[in-house]
Amino acid sequence: MEAMKVQDLAINDLPWKIEYNAERCTMCGSCVASCTFKAIKVEVQRKSITLSEANQPEPIHRQLALPVIKQVADINCACRGCGMCERVCPNNAIRAVRNPDNRRNLLFNRPIKRGGRTNLNAQRTLDKIIVGRISQMTDPSLDSIRHTFDIRSPLGRVLSPKELPMIMEGGKLVMTKTTPPVRWIYPLIFSDMSIGALSTRAWEAVAMAAAYLNEKCGLPVRMSSGEGGMPVKLLESEYLKYFIIQIASGHFGWNRIIKAMPRMKVDPAGVLIKIGQGAKPGDGGLLQAEKVAPHVQAIRGVPKATLSSPPNHQGLYSIEESVQKMHLSLNAAFGFRVPVAIKCAASSTSVSVYNNLLRDPYKICGGFFIDGIQGGTGAANEISLDHTGHPVVSKIRDCYLAAIEQGAQGQIPLYGGGGIGMTGNAAADAFKMICLGANGVFCGKILIQLLGCVGNEQGRCNACNTGKCPTGICTQNPRLVKRLDVDKGAQKIVDYVLAFDAELRKLMAPIGNSSLPVGRSDALVSTDKAIADKLGIQYVC
Amino acid sequence: MLKITTIKNNERMSTQDLLLMIEAAVKAGETDFEIAASGQHDIGGPLWHPEGKTLNFHVTNAGQRVGSMCLPNTEIIVEGSTSADVGWLNSGGIITVKGDVGDTAGHCSSGGKIYIGGRAGTRTGSLMKHDPLYEEPELWVLKNVGSFSFEFMGGGRAVVCGVDCENFSSVLGERACVGMVGGVVYVRGKISDYPDDILCLELDSDDVAFLKSGMNHFLNAVEKSELIAELSDWREWKKLRPLTFEEKKPQVLPDLAAFRKNDWVKGGIFSDVADDDFTVLNTVNRGLYRLRVPTWDNAKFSAPCQFFCPTGIPTQKRLALLRQGKIEEALKLVLKYTPFPGSVCGTLCPNPCMEGCTRSTIDEAIKIDELGLQSAYVEVDPPKISSGKQVGIIGGGVAGLSAAWQLRLLGHSVTVYDDANQIGGKLAQVIPHSRMPQELLQTELNRIEKIGVKFVTGCKVDAAKFNQICDTNDAVLVAVGGHKARYFNWEGAELLTHGIEFLKAINRGEKPHVGKKVVVIGGGNSGMDVATSAYEQGAESVVVVDVVKPAAFAKEIRRLEDFGGKIVWPFVTKKITADGIFSDDDRFIAADQVIVSIGEAPVLDFLPEVKKFRDWLVPDVEKKILPKVFAAGDVIKPGRLTDAIGDARLTALMMNQFLRGEKISPLPAKKIIPAENLSKKFFEKCHHCDLPDPMHEHLRCVSCGTCRDCKMCLNSCPEKAISRIELSDGSWQYISDESKCIGCGICAGVCPCGVWNMSDNPKEISMYRLYNAG
Repeated sequence: MEAMKVQDLAINDLPWKIEYNAERCTMCGSCVASCTFKAIKVEVQRKSITLSEANQPEPIHRQLALPVIKQVADINCACRGCGMCERVCPNNAIRAVRNPDNRRNLLFNRPIKRGGRTNLNAQRTLDKIIVGRISQMTDPSLDSIRHTFDIRSPLGRVLSPKELPMIMEGGKLVMTKTTPPVRWIYPLIFSDMSIGALSTRAWEAVAMAAAYLNEKCGLPVRMSSGEGGMPVKLLESEYLKYFIIQIASGHFGWNRIIKAMPRMKVDPAGVLIKIGQGAKPGDGGLLQAEKVAPHVQAIRGVPKATLSSPPNHQGLYSIEESVQKMHLSLNAAFGFRVPVAIKCAASSTSVSVYNNLLRDPYKICGGFFIDGIQGGTGAANEISLDHTGHPVVSKIRDCYLAAIEQGAQGQIPLYGGGGIGMTGNAAADAFKMICLGANGVFCGKILIQLLGCVGNEQGRCNACNTGKCPTGICTQNPRLVKRLDVDKGAQKIVDYVLAFDAELRKLMAPIGNSSLPVGRSDALVSTDKAIADKLGIQYVC
Repeated sequence: MLKITTIKNNERMSTQDLLLMIEAAVKAGETDFEIAASGQHDIGGPLWHPEGKTLNFHVTNAGQRVGSMCLPNTEIIVEGSTSADVGWLNSGGIITVKGDVGDTAGHCSSGGKIYIGGRAGTRTGSLMKHDPLYEEPELWVLKNVGSFSFEFMGGGRAVVCGVDCENFSSVLGERACVGMVGGVVYVRGKISDYPDDILCLELDSDDVAFLKSGMNHFLNAVEKSELIAELSDWREWKKLRPLTFEEKKPQVLPDLAAFRKNDWVKGGIFSDVADDDFTVLNTVNRGLYRLRVPTWDNAKFSAPCQFFCPTGIPTQKRLALLRQGKIEEALKLVLKYTPFPGSVCGTLCPNPCMEGCTRSTIDEAIKIDELGLQSAYVEVDPPKISSGKQVGIIGGGVAGLSAAWQLRLLGHSVTVYDDANQIGGKLAQVIPHSRMPQELLQTELNRIEKIGVKFVTGCKVDAAKFNQICDTNDAVLVAVGGHKARYFNWEGAELLTHGIEFLKAINRGEKPHVGKKVVVIGGGNSGMDVATSAYEQGAESVVVVDVVKPAAFAKEIRRLEDFGGKIVWPFVTKKITADGIFSDDDRFIAADQVIVSIGEAPVLDFLPEVKKFRDWLVPDVEKKILPKVFAAGDVIKPGRLTDAIGDARLTALMMNQFLRGEKISPLPAKKIIPAENLSKKFFEKCHHCDLPDPMHEHLRCVSCGTCRDCKMCLNSCPEKAISRIELSDGSWQYISDESKCIGCGICAGVCPCGVWNMSDNPKEISMYRLYNAG
């Protein structure tokens, strides 16, 4: 007789169920030993049966106590569907299966926190857009493989020609004063995942991939540090030039960044002021205490504690201030030699912000990064992930058109992110975003997915906030961090970006652009009337 | 010779008319054409003479695609310059343009020769091919070509002589030879960029021979033979050719591991705060890198029987000894905890041990009560050691005797003082003999005496006697229990008979007065004792009243009901009269005797001023009420017999520490084993008819928290990491070898007793630090 109360938590309440086949199981223990969530355990199962083998009822009693692998019915140890058990099982005896009837949201007695990206607003505008204008008779298309392409985007404030401080002197153009710094970079930026959110190995793998793409492949890919500071060794190395240093509301890591300034051999690629992020607009960064290991404490200058960045920069009270004070200070920090850009969560107010930046008389805003609702995060309240935010696609378009209206397009480069590569092809996403007016895109989640992250927007894993990341990417537990192969991970990113580059050409060639088709919305069509209307592109069917 | 003038009277002949006229003439046998064109396309091909004779064209002012699709035996000379696509798809003609040409000259030509006496536009020579069945095409340009020249070229030879190009940075324009896979481009003069898969080489003798033999023809054709010397310095020439398919190797970039080793920041960018050798772990590891580790926590947790026993008797250990066949040891073990396994465990105790028994969740609780009886007659040797310390114990009830037992076994001299004429306290004086077989009790009391405890009975302890006891002993225990009936200040309370006195009188063999109709106030076990004793003493009816549901055990209530007694509750007594008892809601129960039995308070008139709560003593954490005076049992708080025995045992252990001059600290309490740690599934439910006798209960005992040595772990460990070690005293240990263990937890999962437990690997890995240590 079993004792079960209907309100007891049961396996079928949980979002993932372990499907286990005792007949195939060899009891090698590998699945249990691998599971970081303690979602499975070994238990003894009893079979107590009375049977009869004779020609008349002659009861024989059999008792069998069989060790099995059993899922743990505890919301705190709930299976996250990471699938490590299935990967390690030598005999295909176990796997996690999504449970559509789960009662997950009803089981917690507190707001749910998790990592990953929105699971509720995962529908995609970009997948409803097609590159529909192919150069054929009208104008020459290009050969994506054999022709050369100029795939570079500006990072920095681009002056309009009439603003250039130039005079003719002895038959030559001479600059009368310095112009804002502009770097021509690859239109794919590795975006802000902090030291702390990522393990040392994961962060290093991404950084190494960025450096490699520059040094060995000639692609000027830049990586943004995220708001957890920068490794001192990197600050002091020649590779710093490939890195954009981020400053967010917590200003974490700037203790060591400033101290390293006298020893910097080169300037960083840029500075990115993070005002908000698409995954959880209105929230500051969040790093659960579980992940605040000694090196994170050191680089950030804080003790072990849950680190919540304020929702806003403490010293900024208005948009004017944010431009004048924040941009000015960070331009000044590197002698006005380094472009300073700003990143905001996409919002219904993005255009106002962009207009404001465009009006900046000091010309010190070097880029506007808009982060959409499909951006990822290492930790956020699920309500923020799923119910706050703004899609990025139309926002990039709106901002671009707003600039066009003022004849100021291209002056403050627009970068869009949040879900780039979400359905697998970042090149297609980037191309479409660029055609709609972005100068480039930034991506984060896909990078860690390349490293081996198994999380997705169908509720798989998303345990980045727990410190129990099974792939060693989003954890500071040495036992897990050491699971991650830095070289292999970096290689995957490099390979992906090289493929990205080839594929970007594959889209540029048929529309006949050998340079980035910024704003060439004529190249795009949509099979969705509403999207076509909103973005001002052809509706086709 | 057919002369064609394409403009007559300001009328221009269309391309179609011109070409049809030429074709008709060729068919008619004409071989020589003098054409004054006006931009007509495609002059010169594809044409063939019916007899295979050579066709000669002399053209001025041609349009695009002069010589397009030319077949062999066609020779075209264009005076001056012409526009794009000269020799498009040329398949054998010799086409000479004396001046410049537009874009895409020689495009896709696969045979013949094209001579250009000036400059050529962009994409010159693009997609030239060589059909191996025929001679390769040649394209000669005197000066230079525009950008994207020789794009996608697949065969043939192109010669760019670079004459008159001083102001050009590249005689091949920008981005020459993109996508070129075959053929060769000879070039004289500056060239700029060309792709990585193109080789720029010095000429070899074959090249020189080709150029030498062709140059005269070319220069003669374009009427620049004076340049022969200038163009014959072969050191000024280079040739471009693509890598062959075999030569082309996929671009090999260093892998990231090499990059990290050779180019990247040495030791990694986090090397100041992280020790990382970048080795990669599997998800399953042994030793240090296991996520979790097993521990063999034998007897770390209390079994429920032990946990719920106020005396703390570890019955699981008794059964473990029985399981090992150590019967005597098993029966003696309980005597380390209580001198009354028969009288209390086996007879009077409600056995909370059994209520908590894990086995009761499978079938029925282990029969711990009956097991107690098995130890009733077991002899215990007096202690072999003597501490030389004297202990006086005031009160010969279960608390005093339990303490005396413990202290004596620990080697102290113990004297127990009691005011009654027999030792045993309530066991002897109050509990009806029907419930407490006297022979059993006497056996256990004698056992206490046999180990050397001195009994002084009939000794009323007053203040003077107390002082004397204190003076003559090294430590004193006050364990006088509760002997003063408690009741409220009801109206008529003076009419009450005190239950405790009533029972004591019966046990003394007296015949106390009993009414015909008796009401007993208090529905506890002692109330039931009073009520059933009243029947035994001759009462005709007994009613037990209580304010709440009676707390007596079911079997005690049943005993009352067997006599015909009744219980009334809730009944809040208001007053007692000679006729009966009234409740506060004016119910009346007729009675000629009302006996109160709602508990007793201690009589402590012999003590000086000490800390109390109401009538009860409040000892300090060391169980002391005075510098060397301790207290235990019902003088502190009313409780069950087992509560008093357990309290006295713990007090005795602290007194022992006191007597030995050690720091007094209470025994640490073990936590109860979490039920989920146990694997009950091994145990088959036992039919109640098949329950074993108490001496075989070890077959049913789950052995909660104590290793039963079943070897399930030993045999289940997939890594064979577990060993069993037998110690010299016959006990054993199981050890998990960390160099083999992967932390899977199978040992913990299959351990029926919950002895193996998994916890997060406690070993720190020193990977991260705040500062650079080195």
